[in-house]
Amino acid sequence: MTRLTLERRIEIGFAIAVVIILAVGAAALRSTAATVESARWVAHTLEVRGELEATFADLIYAETAVRGYVITGDTTYLAPYDSALASLGGLLAGLRALTADNQAQLKRLDSLAALVAVRLERFRWTVETRRAGGPSAAGRAVIGGRGKELMQLIHGLVGQMEDEEGRLLAQRSATLQSKARLARFAAWGGALVAVTLALIAGALISRELAGRRRAEVALGETQTRFRQVLASSTAVIYANTVSGTTFAPSWVSENVTRITGYGIDEPLRPTWWIDNLHPDDRARVLAEMPALLANEQLTTEYRFRYKDGTYHWVHDEARLLRSAAGTPVEVFGSWVDITDRRRAEETLRVSEERFRLLLGSVRDYAIYMLDPTGHVVSWNAGAEQIKGYRAEEIIGQHFSRFYTAEDVAAGKPEAALRAAAAQGRYEEENWRLRKDGSRFWADVVIGAVQDERGALVGFAKVTRDLTERQRAEEALRASEERFRILAVTANDAIISADSRGDITYFNPGAERIFGYALEEVTGKPLTVLMPERFRDAHRTGLARYLATGEARVVGKTVELAGRKKDGTEFPLELSLASWRHGPEVAFTAIIRDITERKRVEDTLRRHTAQLEVANAELDAFAYSVSHDLRAPLRGIDGFSQALLEDYAERLDVTGKDYLARVRSASQRMATLIDDLLNLSRVTRHQMHVAGVDLSALARGIATDLQKGDPERRAEFIIAPGLQVQADPGLMRVVLQNLLENAWKFTGKRPHARIEVGSATHDGRPAYFVRDNGAGFDMTYVHKLFGAFQRLHGAQEFDGTGVGLATVQRVIHRHGGRVWAEGAVDGGATFYFTL
Amino acid sequence: MTDMQQVEILLVEDNPTDAELTLRAFKARNFANQVFVARDGAEALDFFFGDGSHPLRDIGVVPKVVLLDLKLPKVDGLEVLRRLKADERTRTIPVVILTSSREEPDIAAAYRLGANSYIVKPVDFEAFARAVSEVGLYWLLLNEPPR
Repeated sequence: MTRLTLERRIEIGFAIAVVIILAVGAAALRSTAATVESARWVAHTLEVRGELEATFADLIYAETAVRGYVITGDTTYLAPYDSALASLGGLLAGLRALTADNQAQLKRLDSLAALVAVRLERFRWTVETRRAGGPSAAGRAVIGGRGKELMQLIHGLVGQMEDEEGRLLAQRSATLQSKARLARFAAWGGALVAVTLALIAGALISRELAGRRRAEVALGETQTRFRQVLASSTAVIYANTVSGTTFAPSWVSENVTRITGYGIDEPLRPTWWIDNLHPDDRARVLAEMPALLANEQLTTEYRFRYKDGTYHWVHDEARLLRSAAGTPVEVFGSWVDITDRRRAEETLRVSEERFRLLLGSVRDYAIYMLDPTGHVVSWNAGAEQIKGYRAEEIIGQHFSRFYTAEDVAAGKPEAALRAAAAQGRYEEENWRLRKDGSRFWADVVIGAVQDERGALVGFAKVTRDLTERQRAEEALRASEERFRILAVTANDAIISADSRGDITYFNPGAERIFGYALEEVTGKPLTVLMPERFRDAHRTGLARYLATGEARVVGKTVELAGRKKDGTEFPLELSLASWRHGPEVAFTAIIRDITERKRVEDTLRRHTAQLEVANAELDAFAYSVSHDLRAPLRGIDGFSQALLEDYAERLDVTGKDYLARVRSASQRMATLIDDLLNLSRVTRHQMHVAGVDLSALARGIATDLQKGDPERRAEFIIAPGLQVQADPGLMRVVLQNLLENAWKFTGKRPHARIEVGSATHDGRPAYFVRDNGAGFDMTYVHKLFGAFQRLHGAQEFDGTGVGLATVQRVIHRHGGRVWAEGAVDGGATFYFTL
Repeated sequence: MTDMQQVEILLVEDNPTDAELTLRAFKARNFANQVFVARDGAEALDFFFGDGSHPLRDIGVVPKVVLLDLKLPKVDGLEVLRRLKADERTRTIPVVILTSSREEPDIAAAYRLGANSYIVKPVDFEAFARAVSEVGLYWLLLNEPPR
């Protein structure tokens, strides 16, 4: 049943009350009408009675008057009789009108009127009689005239009529009384009902009012709470009015101040929002606005400038309200600062990215994921590196392809997954296959990955390529074996000792050198191998090394003396190393019997000393040659010249010619001596290697040559940038000699060309000096670099034959090679490497 | 005989041939009278420090230049040079090494000890005479010694 609304109930209640009040009113009206009717009937009855009594009274007056006249004969007594005659007709007509509705009364009235008429006739007759007959006739008429009887009849009739009227009155009054009672009853009842209804309505309304008041209080509380909620909320609520496509801010929750720092009025400025949008977000957000009109709602995020100038990320959700006609009217929205969330998201993203990059950058480990059935779902750089598959070609493939065919046949991939799923983790070392089919020794860890409910979602696999390690282990084993063999077969003694200085190892070489067998010395102190005089120093040194780590012998090679089993002493060379063996320090010595070497060294030292003496003698000789050999030549030349100057007149032409030859020979000898000294100097010269610019050096020498003989035309072609590492002084000697030779041997060429450059010879750079001069016969090329060897006569080209020997010596001192190519009259090329 | 008071060139030379050829070269330039020849290092030192065989020598007169051979009997040339350059009185006298040695260590040692010039005697007499006379010309006529 639908519950009627309060308003409906009150309406119905009031309608009922109105109906009742109307009914009560009607009842009261009827009661009043009955009362009025009743009063009218009383008055009517009284009027009828009055008329009847007036009629009877008139008859009495008329009788009295007649009687007075009769008695007296005085006519004055007749006045009442006349007035009664005049009024009786009116009275009877009035009665007739009053009783027109009552036939019985009308009949009685007719009877009355007849009786009255009769009576009046009698009066007239009496009067007439009196007037005519005198008092006696009149007396008899009166006595004989039955007047009294008539009056009684009239009186009775009037009484009947009055009674009738009284009966009617009583009857009508009873009816009216009952009607009035009913009306009163209705009025009272109605009033009672109305009062009851009014009371009920009042109760209802008062209850309703109380409810309303409670509701208002509740509403007030709700509003307060709402305001507080808004105030403490992190969401700013706002409203915009919409006209067309423009929005105007109309309301914003007060917490906007707490959150953004802006005063409550500021956000209501039309451009506040747009002005404070981050410039980078503005275009995007504004472009999204039409969507709000289209979709009735819009959720967006952007950066917004707070009052303090900082930008915050804001999550904005707006909803559009439309009027009934569908026109957009208002936009409501909420606005939440999500900077922290953004930052957290960003942090998470960065963290995830970092983790991803970390995984991606791990190259030594293949790290990848499998789904629960063993298909690859992720792949890192290490996996690509180790297994050779790229991510796109392996993702989705089953991981059993990493297993060897035997292992797949043996069901190992599935077994591994089952084991990992059951125990959470599975590890093994075994062979695995790369993409190219090659095997590698892998350290594999499979971890089961479960979701929060414990369901298996996949496997994480970490694989490491241990091939290198295995190879290293094998290499180590091989190395150990090699060293063992080395120790066994070594000619040298290899002896190990512990930190107490007791022998722990004694190789066959040691047995041979010292004459002890391994069993004889194992556990014995090292001192048994030393002459008495070294033993204390050894013990002190060992204790010092163990206590302070100060090493005087450890890590070095020293020469000491040893003692053989038979007591003989011998010189030895000792290399001592120490290492930590756990907490213990241990030592290993390699000892070589250097008796023979000492002997050889002594010999060598003697020879070296002799050589040094010889060298010193050679130096003295060279010095002597330089100084003393030239002095006589200068004498020969000088005095020959003096002779030519002072005694010219006493010499004939032949004598002068001889003297000139003496001078020439002595000068040539001086040149030879200089060249020999140069050769010797080149040999003894102390080498200092540095960067040398051969091109610059050659240009300098060429310039000097040109200056020395300005008449000659010669073309020098010198390649730039010839850089070598060599002794600068000696390289000058080399180029000087080679270029002077070239200059000399092109002396007869009209177009001399001298070239300096580089070429590649046997993969090494070679440098050359080439000329288009006289050249030489290749048959004698082997003589070219010998001292004092000349391929041309002195008449043709002067020279001592020492220059190329000097060049060769310099080049050999640099570890290089020098050679020549040439042909008679075909020029010559001299090459050298360094 | 050389007038000791007029000595402007001291030639320290043990080889009589070289000494004579040098004098001949100076003679051509008319310097010969002002040249005194010491035959060895000891005599050269006596000349300067007057403690031996040169009673005539009066300390206080200094030559304008010393031509010094290196290889000398008794006291060698480098020692003479060292003594001359070590003594306050003789330090400013220009010393020209005139020698047959072209050895690098000699040249280096001479300059290190303060030699003012180093000339290798050419074998060719004409060249020798030219060198000697030019040295004389330079140090006697052109060079301005400290006062």
